[in-house]
Amino acid sequence: MKILIIEDEKALLDSILGYFIGEGNICETASNYQLVSEKIALYSYDCILLDLSLPDGEGLALLAALKKMKKKDGVLIISARHSLDSKLEGLDLGADDYLVKPFHLSELKARVTAIVRRKNFDGDNIITFNEISVDVLSKNITVNEKRITLTRKEFDLLIYFLANKGKVVTKNAMAEHLWGDEMDITDDFDFIYTHVKNLRRKLLEAGSQDYMRSLYGIGYKFGAI
Amino acid sequence: MKLAERYNRANLLASLVMLIITGIIYYTVIHFILTDKLDRDLEVEENEIRHYVSAYQRLPLASSYLDQQVHYKEIKGGYNIASEFSYTTYFNAKENEEEPGRSLMTTVNLGEKTFEVVITKSRVEFEDLARIILLITLGVTVMLLVVLMLINSLVLNRLWKPFYTLLGQMKSFDVSRIDNIGQDPTGIAEFRELNTSVNAMAARVRKDYKELKSFTDNASHEMMTPLAVINSKLDSLLQTGAFTIEQGALLEDIYNAIGRLFRLNQSLLLLAKIENNLIPDLQEIDMKEMLEGKISQFQELFEKDGLSISLAIAPSTVRMSRYLADILLNNLIGNAVRHNNANGSIEFRLDSESMQVINTGKDFELNNQLFERFAKSVSSEGTGLGLAISKQICVLYGFSINYENHQGRHCFSVTFSKQAQPTELLHN
Repeated sequence: MKILIIEDEKALLDSILGYFIGEGNICETASNYQLVSEKIALYSYDCILLDLSLPDGEGLALLAALKKMKKKDGVLIISARHSLDSKLEGLDLGADDYLVKPFHLSELKARVTAIVRRKNFDGDNIITFNEISVDVLSKNITVNEKRITLTRKEFDLLIYFLANKGKVVTKNAMAEHLWGDEMDITDDFDFIYTHVKNLRRKLLEAGSQDYMRSLYGIGYKFGAI
Repeated sequence: MKLAERYNRANLLASLVMLIITGIIYYTVIHFILTDKLDRDLEVEENEIRHYVSAYQRLPLASSYLDQQVHYKEIKGGYNIASEFSYTTYFNAKENEEEPGRSLMTTVNLGEKTFEVVITKSRVEFEDLARIILLITLGVTVMLLVVLMLINSLVLNRLWKPFYTLLGQMKSFDVSRIDNIGQDPTGIAEFRELNTSVNAMAARVRKDYKELKSFTDNASHEMMTPLAVINSKLDSLLQTGAFTIEQGALLEDIYNAIGRLFRLNQSLLLLAKIENNLIPDLQEIDMKEMLEGKISQFQELFEKDGLSISLAIAPSTVRMSRYLADILLNNLIGNAVRHNNANGSIEFRLDSESMQVINTGKDFELNNQLFERFAKSVSSEGTGLGLAISKQICVLYGFSINYENHQGRHCFSVTFSKQAQPTELLHN
């Protein structure tokens, strides 16, 4: 996928870039309003990661300009402003999603992947990874053409893993993704383990390879060995 | 003590002292004047006796009238004494009783003989007169004082009215409200000045508050960017290669600390927003549905600690923000889980009036201080703001939230009030 990353904080920009690059992704970056307006006018992207506070302009204005040009680029807003208002304003202007800083890179990737998948949806919204195939709309999962049944959490987890394949995903990030803010109340994410274990068992029983590995006691990695 | 009260007290005390002194002086003066008059009457009588003696060469008859008695007594040896006034008693034959009297003792010479003459007059009437005059004077003075005090208190009350109005407005002054203080028109220069000063002060306070608020707001947001950098760098670091379990544990601790810092920041911002009523999506909320949804959401957490759940939930509708209702439930349920024992229990009760979350936990008495910001036990992993936020949410909607200890079980109850609506506050 082709992604434009708009972020004025260089260190953060580098991290995002580092995480997204590879797998045939094309990433471009921009860190000021002027450059961004030029880029979005000239090119099209699968997804634009838009930081709302740029040194020389307001990110929402870029979004408005993009919509005015009737561009179909997906837009994910990244903002340090955790206020309902700016979130609603962003979504009203046509952003596809809104992510508040600080975030986990795995979460960002999962959301971007979801946006791009929705944008490029052409009849079959299917993610395929080796022998695993997931129809996101009908929630049909097959391994070697054999259907398996997953719980809601296991399904979400699988999608999350597929979006972040080859990456180490922390338990914290997974917990936040699956349960949201409720996870505030505990730092002990070991119960994630139950879901991972169940998902892994179901995939293995259906004849899939073992793609999941627990790493350093801190998270998991999904990918071909 | 009120100003008017203290003023009146001083006034009364001074008046009383003055009254007593005046009374004493008055009585003394009247007494002196009347005695003087009596003495002159006695002298007139004496002169008449002397005239009589020199004209007829004999003593007039000893007489005893109602108010005057004259006695003679021959003095052997014959010497004259000077006239002398004295207070004596006077025997009133008619009333048959002793009365106070005034006597003049003198001598007259009749040929070779010397007679002592004692003229006595009753003092009763003079005393009565003095007393009546004194009483009338005192009476009028007391009446005057009473009237003065009444007028004083009436006028003072009216004069001080602008002051009390201003005071009332200052008491209800809320730094986040836009309304001004003290618009009561008053002709009194001091109060006008007070009005102006108070309004100027309020404006200053409001400005400072606004600046502080926007500073806090900006500072909180600015903090998020470095946090985002740290978090993303950790995520990137994690992809770089193999780590040992020890390094993994270190990384996990850093992640957790960042998460806590983030939540802390978020909570502070949220708290500020609730206090300023910046969360407007007021709506009817089916509490029963929401609570049941939450309980199923938390199911895994309950199971993790082996907590048993009991429910007594009746339909209940509450008018509030869905966002805040969500936070309130999260906080209460989160606390019940976090501060519970392994294999403990949580009991949820809901009816149209109130909601209770009762959980087992460490056996200690808590007090209502736990609703304060950053009030938390040493072992708590929370931000110390959860209950402060819950309290603030309840305050916003006029609910009350209370903590009780029921035989070692911790009970948090929220009492909904249907009437109260959040006051319209300054939106900025």
